[in-house]
Amino acid sequence: MTGASLFGIEMVNVFLAMAILIVIASFVSLYRGIEGPGIFNRIIAVSVIGTKTIVLLVLIGFIYKRPDFFDIALVYAILNFIMTIAATRY
Amino acid sequence: MSDITTITNILTVVLLLTGAFFMLAGTIGFLRFPDFYSRMHATGKCDTLGEGLMLVALIVYGGATFVSVKILFLIIFILFANPTSTHAIAKAAYDVGLEPWRKPDDRVQWLNTDDTNNISNTGNSGEGRVDEDGGDGR
Repeated sequence: MTGASLFGIEMVNVFLAMAILIVIASFVSLYRGIEGPGIFNRIIAVSVIGTKTIVLLVLIGFIYKRPDFFDIALVYAILNFIMTIAATRY
Repeated sequence: MSDITTITNILTVVLLLTGAFFMLAGTIGFLRFPDFYSRMHATGKCDTLGEGLMLVALIVYGGATFVSVKILFLIIFILFANPTSTHAIAKAAYDVGLEPWRKPDDRVQWLNTDDTNNISNTGNSGEGRVDEDGGDGR
Protein backbone atom coordinates (compact mmCIF):
# COMPACT_ATOMS: atom_id res chain seq x y z
CA MET A 1 0.00 0.00 0.00
CA THR A 2 1.28 3.45 -0.82
CA GLY A 3 0.91 6.63 1.14
CA ALA A 4 -2.18 7.57 2.97
CA SER A 5 -2.76 11.27 2.46
CA LEU A 6 -2.98 13.77 -0.37
CA PHE A 7 -3.03 17.53 0.30
CA GLY A 8 -4.12 16.90 3.85
CA ILE A 9 -6.98 14.62 2.82
CA GLU A 10 -6.71 11.02 3.89
CA MET A 11 -7.16 8.58 1.04
CA VAL A 12 -9.36 6.44 3.27
CA ASN A 13 -11.78 9.35 3.50
CA VAL A 14 -11.83 9.64 -0.29
CA PHE A 15 -12.70 5.96 -0.53
CA LEU A 16 -15.36 6.43 2.12
CA ALA A 17 -16.91 9.33 0.19
CA MET A 18 -16.97 7.21 -2.97
CA ALA A 19 -18.62 4.36 -1.05
CA ILE A 20 -21.32 6.70 0.27
CA LEU A 21 -21.87 8.00 -3.27
CA ILE A 22 -22.29 4.46 -4.56
CA VAL A 23 -24.76 3.66 -1.78
CA ILE A 24 -26.83 6.74 -2.70
CA ALA A 25 -26.79 5.69 -6.37
CA SER A 26 -27.90 2.20 -5.35
CA PHE A 27 -30.87 3.58 -3.44
CA VAL A 28 -31.83 5.73 -6.43
CA SER A 29 -31.68 2.60 -8.58
CA LEU A 30 -33.77 0.75 -6.00
CA TYR A 31 -36.57 3.27 -6.59
CA ARG A 32 -36.74 2.16 -10.20
CA GLY A 33 -36.62 -1.43 -9.09
CA ILE A 34 -39.60 -1.00 -6.80
CA GLU A 35 -41.64 1.42 -8.86
CA GLY A 36 -40.62 0.55 -12.39
CA PRO A 37 -43.30 -1.00 -14.57
CA GLY A 38 -42.74 -4.49 -15.81
CA ILE A 39 -40.44 -7.24 -14.69
CA PHE A 40 -37.55 -6.30 -16.95
CA ASN A 41 -36.99 -2.99 -15.21
CA ARG A 42 -36.71 -4.89 -11.97
CA ILE A 43 -34.24 -7.34 -13.46
CA ILE A 44 -32.14 -4.43 -14.71
CA ALA A 45 -32.35 -2.74 -11.30
CA VAL A 46 -31.10 -5.86 -9.56
CA SER A 47 -28.27 -6.17 -12.07
CA VAL A 48 -27.27 -2.54 -11.66
CA ILE A 49 -27.33 -2.72 -7.87
CA GLY A 50 -25.24 -5.86 -8.01
CA THR A 51 -22.73 -4.13 -10.26
CA LYS A 52 -22.49 -1.23 -7.82
CA THR A 53 -22.14 -3.63 -4.92
CA ILE A 54 -19.02 -5.16 -6.45
CA VAL A 55 -17.26 -1.78 -6.44
CA LEU A 56 -18.59 -1.16 -2.94
CA LEU A 57 -17.08 -4.41 -1.68
CA VAL A 58 -13.70 -3.61 -3.19
CA LEU A 59 -13.81 -0.13 -1.65
CA ILE A 60 -14.67 -1.61 1.76
CA GLY A 61 -11.74 -3.96 1.38
CA PHE A 62 -9.46 -0.98 0.81
CA ILE A 63 -10.97 1.10 3.61
CA TYR A 64 -10.65 -1.53 6.31
CA LYS A 65 -7.51 -3.09 4.76
CA ARG A 66 -8.98 -6.56 4.66
CA PRO A 67 -8.13 -8.49 1.50
CA ASP A 68 -10.93 -11.01 2.09
CA PHE A 69 -13.44 -8.70 0.50
CA PHE A 70 -11.91 -9.05 -2.96
CA ASP A 71 -12.75 -12.75 -3.03
CA ILE A 72 -16.26 -11.88 -1.92
CA ALA A 73 -16.48 -9.31 -4.72
CA LEU A 74 -15.31 -11.88 -7.28
CA VAL A 75 -17.88 -14.42 -6.14
CA TYR A 76 -20.54 -11.72 -6.09
CA ALA A 77 -19.75 -10.80 -9.70
CA ILE A 78 -20.09 -14.41 -10.82
CA LEU A 79 -23.34 -14.85 -8.87
CA ASN A 80 -24.78 -11.64 -10.29
CA PHE A 81 -24.00 -12.73 -13.85
CA ILE A 82 -25.47 -16.20 -13.36
CA MET A 83 -28.58 -14.80 -11.70
CA THR A 84 -29.21 -12.36 -14.53
CA ILE A 85 -28.80 -15.04 -17.18
CA ALA A 86 -31.08 -17.41 -15.28
CA ALA A 87 -33.72 -14.73 -14.78
CA THR A 88 -33.77 -13.85 -18.47
CA ARG A 89 -33.90 -17.51 -19.56
CA TYR A 90 -36.75 -18.22 -17.11
CA MET B 1 6.13 11.43 1.11
CA SER B 2 7.86 11.16 -2.19
CA ASP B 3 6.71 12.57 -5.47
CA ILE B 4 5.68 9.27 -6.96
CA THR B 5 3.26 8.70 -4.09
CA THR B 6 1.67 12.07 -4.67
CA ILE B 7 1.31 11.38 -8.39
CA THR B 8 -0.22 7.99 -7.64
CA ASN B 9 -2.70 9.49 -5.22
CA ILE B 10 -3.71 12.24 -7.66
CA LEU B 11 -4.24 9.67 -10.41
CA THR B 12 -6.30 7.54 -8.06
CA VAL B 13 -8.54 10.43 -7.05
CA VAL B 14 -9.03 11.56 -10.66
CA LEU B 15 -9.95 8.05 -11.82
CA LEU B 16 -12.28 7.57 -8.86
CA LEU B 17 -14.07 10.84 -9.55
CA THR B 18 -14.43 10.01 -13.25
CA GLY B 19 -15.83 6.60 -12.43
CA ALA B 20 -18.25 8.06 -9.91
CA PHE B 21 -19.40 10.61 -12.49
CA PHE B 22 -20.12 7.89 -15.03
CA MET B 23 -21.90 5.79 -12.44
CA LEU B 24 -24.10 8.68 -11.33
CA ALA B 25 -24.84 9.57 -14.96
CA GLY B 26 -25.91 5.99 -15.59
CA THR B 27 -28.13 6.07 -12.51
CA ILE B 28 -29.79 9.32 -13.55
CA GLY B 29 -30.37 7.90 -17.01
CA PHE B 30 -31.80 4.76 -15.47
CA LEU B 31 -34.21 6.90 -13.49
CA ARG B 32 -35.18 9.39 -16.15
CA PHE B 33 -35.35 7.68 -19.52
CA PRO B 34 -38.85 6.88 -20.79
CA ASP B 35 -38.38 3.35 -22.06
CA PHE B 36 -37.03 0.03 -20.95
CA TYR B 37 -34.58 -0.18 -23.83
CA SER B 38 -33.25 3.33 -23.36
CA ARG B 39 -32.84 2.70 -19.63
CA MET B 40 -30.79 -0.32 -20.51
CA HIS B 41 -28.80 1.82 -22.93
CA ALA B 42 -27.99 4.12 -20.02
CA THR B 43 -27.06 1.48 -17.49
CA GLY B 44 -25.31 -1.06 -19.69
CA LYS B 45 -22.52 1.20 -20.78
CA CYS B 46 -22.20 3.72 -17.96
CA ASP B 47 -22.01 1.10 -15.25
CA THR B 48 -19.41 -0.93 -17.06
CA LEU B 49 -17.21 2.08 -17.72
CA GLY B 50 -17.66 3.59 -14.26
CA GLU B 51 -16.92 0.35 -12.53
CA GLY B 52 -13.88 -0.29 -14.70
CA LEU B 53 -12.51 3.16 -13.99
CA MET B 54 -13.00 2.86 -10.24
CA LEU B 55 -11.35 -0.54 -10.12
CA VAL B 56 -8.44 0.72 -12.23
CA ALA B 57 -8.08 3.55 -9.71
CA LEU B 58 -7.88 1.02 -6.90
CA ILE B 59 -5.27 -0.96 -8.84
CA VAL B 60 -3.21 2.21 -9.23
CA TYR B 61 -3.55 2.87 -5.52
CA GLY B 62 -2.74 -0.65 -4.45
CA GLY B 63 0.38 -1.07 -6.53
CA ALA B 64 1.73 -4.31 -7.96
CA THR B 65 0.51 -6.81 -5.42
CA PHE B 66 -1.50 -9.98 -5.46
CA VAL B 67 -4.62 -8.01 -4.64
CA SER B 68 -4.23 -5.99 -7.83
CA VAL B 69 -4.17 -9.17 -9.88
CA LYS B 70 -7.46 -10.19 -8.28
CA ILE B 71 -9.00 -6.82 -9.13
CA LEU B 72 -7.65 -7.16 -12.68
CA PHE B 73 -9.42 -10.51 -13.00
CA LEU B 74 -12.54 -8.82 -11.64
CA ILE B 75 -12.33 -6.10 -14.32
CA ILE B 76 -11.82 -8.65 -17.10
CA PHE B 77 -14.74 -10.73 -15.89
CA ILE B 78 -16.99 -7.67 -15.67
CA LEU B 79 -16.01 -6.55 -19.15
CA PHE B 80 -17.24 -9.92 -20.40
CA ALA B 81 -20.22 -10.44 -18.14
CA ASN B 82 -21.92 -7.06 -18.06
CA PRO B 83 -22.54 -6.65 -21.83
CA THR B 84 -23.56 -10.30 -22.01
CA SER B 85 -26.19 -9.91 -19.32
CA THR B 86 -27.41 -6.67 -20.89
CA HIS B 87 -27.78 -8.39 -24.24
CA ALA B 88 -29.59 -11.31 -22.60
CA ILE B 89 -32.08 -8.98 -20.90
CA ALA B 90 -32.67 -7.06 -24.13
CA LYS B 91 -33.20 -10.22 -26.14
CA ALA B 92 -35.60 -11.62 -23.55
CA ALA B 93 -37.60 -8.39 -23.56
CA TYR B 94 -37.69 -8.32 -27.34
CA ASP B 95 -38.84 -11.93 -27.51
CA VAL B 96 -41.59 -11.26 -24.97
CA GLY B 97 -42.77 -8.42 -27.18
CA LEU B 98 -42.02 -5.07 -25.63
CA GLU B 99 -42.06 -2.44 -28.35
CA PRO B 100 -39.52 0.36 -28.33
CA TRP B 101 -40.68 3.81 -27.35
CA ARG B 102 -41.12 6.44 -30.04
CA LYS B 103 -41.54 10.16 -29.85
CA PRO B 104 -45.23 11.02 -30.07
CA ASP B 105 -44.69 13.46 -32.94
CA ASP B 106 -42.79 10.87 -34.94
CA ARG B 107 -45.51 8.35 -34.36
CA VAL B 108 -48.25 10.69 -35.60
CA GLN B 109 -46.25 11.67 -38.65
CA TRP B 110 -45.47 8.08 -39.45
CA LEU B 111 -49.16 7.20 -39.18
CA ASN B 112 -50.16 10.06 -41.48
CA THR B 113 -47.75 9.03 -44.18
CA ASP B 114 -48.94 5.48 -43.73
CA ASP B 115 -52.54 6.51 -44.33
CA THR B 116 -51.85 8.56 -47.44
CA ASN B 117 -49.79 6.02 -49.32
CA ASN B 118 -50.11 2.54 -47.93
CA ILE B 119 -47.38 0.70 -49.71
CA SER B 120 -45.63 -2.37 -48.39
CA ASN B 121 -47.94 -2.59 -45.41
CA THR B 122 -50.18 -5.49 -44.66
CA GLY B 123 -52.56 -3.46 -42.56
CA ASN B 124 -51.82 -5.10 -39.26
CA SER B 125 -49.18 -2.83 -37.87
CA GLY B 126 -51.04 0.43 -38.43
CA GLU B 127 -53.99 -0.30 -36.21
CA GLY B 128 -51.80 -2.01 -33.69
CA ARG B 129 -49.75 1.09 -33.19
CA VAL B 130 -52.80 3.31 -32.87
CA ASP B 131 -54.20 1.30 -29.99
CA GLU B 132 -51.21 1.19 -27.70
CA ASP B 133 -50.50 4.59 -26.31
CA GLY B 134 -49.24 6.31 -23.22
CA GLY B 135 -46.31 4.10 -22.45
CA ASP B 136 -47.94 1.92 -19.83
CA GLY B 137 -46.50 -1.44 -19.05
CA ARG B 138 -42.98 -0.83 -20.21
